[in-house]
Amino acid sequence: MSGDDLEAALTTRTQNAPSELLSRSFFFLCAALSIVTTIGLIALLATEAAKFFTFSAPLVGVDGATAGIVEFLTGTNWDPTNGSFGVLALVSATLMVMIGSSIIALPLGLGTATYLSEYASPRLRSVLKPALEILAGIPTVVYGFFAVIYITPALGTVLPGLSKFNMLSACVVVGIMIIPMVASISEDAMSAVPDELRQAGYGMGATKLEVSTGVVVPAALSGIFSSFILALSRAIGETMAVTIAAGSTARFLNIIDPGAYTESALPMTAAMVKLVKGDVTGGGLAYRSVFAIGATLFVITLVMNIVSDVIAHRFKEEY
Amino acid sequence: MAADTSDVTAGFGQVSRTAGRVFRALLLAATLFGIVFVTILLLYVANDAIQPLTADPGWHLTFFLTLVVPTAGVGAFVYRRSQAAFQTGMLALGFVAVALLFSGGAAMLFIDIVRPLTWLAVVVALAVPAAIAVGVTAYDQRLPFLARFGVTTAAFYLSLFGLPGPLGTVASWLSQLGLPIPLGATLGSVRLVPSVVDVVSGVPVAPAPWLMLVATVGGPIGVVAGHAVARDRGRRARVAASSAFLAVVAVAGVVGPAVGVTPVPAVVVAAVGVVPPAAYAADVAVNAPRERVGLAVPATVIVGSLVGAGIVSVVGLAGPQSWVDWAFLTSAHSTNAESAGFYPSIGGSILLMLSVAVLAFPVGVGAAIYLEEYAPDNWLTRVIDVNISNLAGVPSVVYGLLGFGLFVTHLNRPAGTVLIGGATLGLLILPIIIISAREAIRSVPEAQRAASDGMGATKWQTVRNVVLPRSFSGILTGTILALGRAIGETAPLIMIGAPTIKFSLPTQVSETVTAMPLQVYAWSSLYATPDFYTKVVPAGVVVLVTVLLAMNSVAIVLRNKYQSHD
Amino acid sequence: MTENTAETADESSDGGVTATTGAATTTPTTPPEPVIRARDLDVFYGSERALESVDIDIPEQQVTAIIGPSGCGKSTFLRCINRMNDRIDAARIDGDLTLRGTNVYDAAVDPVALRRRVGMVFQEPNPFPKSIYDNVAYGLEIQDVEGDHDEIVEQSLRRAALWDEVSHQLDSSGVALSGGQQQRLCIARAIAPDPEVLLMDEPASALDPVATSQVEDLIEELAEEYTVVIVTHNMQQAARISDKTAVFLTGGKLVEFGDTDQIFENPEHQRVEEYITGKFG
Repeated sequence: MSGDDLEAALTTRTQNAPSELLSRSFFFLCAALSIVTTIGLIALLATEAAKFFTFSAPLVGVDGATAGIVEFLTGTNWDPTNGSFGVLALVSATLMVMIGSSIIALPLGLGTATYLSEYASPRLRSVLKPALEILAGIPTVVYGFFAVIYITPALGTVLPGLSKFNMLSACVVVGIMIIPMVASISEDAMSAVPDELRQAGYGMGATKLEVSTGVVVPAALSGIFSSFILALSRAIGETMAVTIAAGSTARFLNIIDPGAYTESALPMTAAMVKLVKGDVTGGGLAYRSVFAIGATLFVITLVMNIVSDVIAHRFKEEY
Repeated sequence: MAADTSDVTAGFGQVSRTAGRVFRALLLAATLFGIVFVTILLLYVANDAIQPLTADPGWHLTFFLTLVVPTAGVGAFVYRRSQAAFQTGMLALGFVAVALLFSGGAAMLFIDIVRPLTWLAVVVALAVPAAIAVGVTAYDQRLPFLARFGVTTAAFYLSLFGLPGPLGTVASWLSQLGLPIPLGATLGSVRLVPSVVDVVSGVPVAPAPWLMLVATVGGPIGVVAGHAVARDRGRRARVAASSAFLAVVAVAGVVGPAVGVTPVPAVVVAAVGVVPPAAYAADVAVNAPRERVGLAVPATVIVGSLVGAGIVSVVGLAGPQSWVDWAFLTSAHSTNAESAGFYPSIGGSILLMLSVAVLAFPVGVGAAIYLEEYAPDNWLTRVIDVNISNLAGVPSVVYGLLGFGLFVTHLNRPAGTVLIGGATLGLLILPIIIISAREAIRSVPEAQRAASDGMGATKWQTVRNVVLPRSFSGILTGTILALGRAIGETAPLIMIGAPTIKFSLPTQVSETVTAMPLQVYAWSSLYATPDFYTKVVPAGVVVLVTVLLAMNSVAIVLRNKYQSHD
Repeated sequence: MTENTAETADESSDGGVTATTGAATTTPTTPPEPVIRARDLDVFYGSERALESVDIDIPEQQVTAIIGPSGCGKSTFLRCINRMNDRIDAARIDGDLTLRGTNVYDAAVDPVALRRRVGMVFQEPNPFPKSIYDNVAYGLEIQDVEGDHDEIVEQSLRRAALWDEVSHQLDSSGVALSGGQQQRLCIARAIAPDPEVLLMDEPASALDPVATSQVEDLIEELAEEYTVVIVTHNMQQAARISDKTAVFLTGGKLVEFGDTDQIFENPEHQRVEEYITGKFG
């Protein structure tokens, strides 16, 4: 091959071949769809929620177009049929689900992660990890059913005052549901701790207990916290289990009062389902309020996800 | 020197091990808590649904003797001889169960949703242009890509839609908007060239439906199974094995009616439920002689069940009054708990799953390929990256709002249809598919990419020839898990207005659909007779959880197999 | 990210670099036109300099060995020739590198097209998990090479001294072969599309001694038809199989380049002699 032929061969633009252009643009469009989804989601929630706020103000008898938002965000009474749209009643129930489920899920999830990462033999781990995965694969509607039909009666024998639909059983099932999430992300963080750190601990004469709690857990702390926040955000967004188990009476409860957990309440997600299942006529006020709750929920979970992401990356230990 | 030794020991002192032991036990308890808790609940619900204690003690005794004892004995024997063989045996057993389960779903598709003739028409309409595409490539490889692409696309379009097809509809729609398109107004209604689908579904004399299924379902599955069994044994062996499997399917259509099963489901169950596990067993028997003994385990279970069933029916021992019975699986909802069934929801879930897979799989894999192989390191890539992980964290109920607001309110589509449900659930699992597909693509060794790039492959050639084949099973695993998530979701379907109760299956994507979890929710919030709460809902839960466990275990087995191969 | 310096490299060699041409040796009387010519070639990884003003003329149909201690930039230089360094985002290249007179870092040159003319064999054997036939035919398929592929595959496998071992099992998987066979398969794959130059990055370092000697014999034979550039950390190997040897020392500098016999028997530089006699490295 002479030099000129070679030069011609070398300057063929393979990148501009039709197959290259077509495949590259298809893949790019696929990736860009996620941006479109997000923009669509935000635009939709924003416009529909905005309609709710401009609509609701005159209807609930409050002056001014912006009073709707304040009323919505600070009101503690939720009664759409009578024009009361105080989202705090729903938020309080959601917070209770979050607190109650985290009391179960965070310690158990962290314990599971520690066991799997530090103690379990490879063989045991190969059984336990798929088992946890299957736990995470059971649909939430099934968990809700478990709560009502088995857990509430069982808890009722211990707590006589328990109502048929109550926050406690909802918290229990949501807690169990999010254990795998805490466990798997925390375990990833712990497994990433290099063995030299452990060896250093053992070299100082530490026991396995001391190495696990004193070396591995602190070293993996950012991953553990990030898993906690993700799990809480999942608990907040959890819908069917709380819809079935927690009841349908919206009320503003004292979230730090243990007694309040025996009562029924209406978390945000359950309220959305209730509104949609009820008398939603497209464009009506109740319909708009679903979007207002949805927007609130979206913002809360988005902030939590971002915080979790920041913790996981910003405070990532450099080994 | 005993005294010295003890001195030394005393000198080092004893670190208490009690705290360590307690800690370890606590951690194990924490790990097992959730698993045990849910297992107990699942046992409860299975007990409520299946009611094993209502059976005659003789029934239990019979199956104990014919099924449990032999299985335990054979299992222990195999396990002691070879653990690998035991694993193979268990895998084969699981394969049988899962394949039979899915064959039921497939049979349902052909009985109530797709007419076999329509199916045949679609298969033919896809096969013809595919053959043309292969022919064009084989005829001259150096045909310009655009020419090949054009011919192939045109062939598929003609074959599936004919002329003018949907483009004509679009053209007439555009001409109504005032665009100058020649013959625009008429293009929407006339039919110049019929499609292959039309031609085939319009043939006056069609073979019996089950014969069409033997060809279109049994044929491809038989060929794949035959190749798997006789992979290294030459062409003749492959043809023989494939024909044998095809014969099994055909025989099922003939024998089915004799035992009271109509030919169509018999053929489908044989093709989807019997041939694949049989092929696996044959593969083990022929190609893995050391693990052959493991096949004794599934054989014992199958023979034991059949013998047990024969004995109880001959002697007349009553089985359990299970609520998960044939009637439950094949009838629709009823206000009477006794006759309430799950059929429309099972079919609805299958349809939703198929539409989610069709919509989300290509897009998810495409996005993953872009991000892993093409994306330059710039702000747009980082935005997409962060955005996808945040989308994965958006609550499913909010996706339901998106689906409703976008498709129903703004695009004016009817609420609660298969298409909208599939699109909404597809958007929901898209980030999950992308994330798992990226992981699978990332696990392709860099040396393989370097080898391909070093040969002067373009990006797309490397992706097509090296990256996708290597990551395929990982991508498949992630997709199955994501599909499991999709068919377990309830809240998005409620938000898009899917009806909780339907009495028939949709036959088109624009009809409303219900799903298994939705039906379970409807029943558990009916406040009807207690039987609904304590019998019907558990029965629904058992079916739903069985399907999901089957899907998840397939995915997990697939992943373990493929991880150990690397 | 690559940058091209338009300025032509001047011939003035700085300090330690000497480019001795083959005039005073046993090679043919008229010095062959170099296939690859580098002038003032610099490579940076981020802010780190991996190659410093390399000048070299690689002759046709000979084996040129590149030796040097680890981290001296010898692999980096090899990967410049077929622009595999482009795949690393942080890499930046200055200077000229020509393949038969065409500057490969010219904006008009497509790296993919370049790699179709410059074959490469890697340190670890990396056959594709495809059949032996498909492995060898890979380059033919992706480059749409004309002709009878069956024949080219057979020829390439024969040249790679693998045909007798695999002719009866062309359909079986390439990864099922032994390490030495895999590497010869990779060589067959690289020569199937008939490249101008064959680059080899320590091709025998992952092989056992028997497989290594097979591959070495093969390389000597390949030089009858191809221009071979081989990076190796094994000085005996370089001495056995190469016609020319280039010695890189730390800092990415080409310290000495000349006929292999001369480099190993009578190097000009003290440091090269120390390296060759094993005083460091």
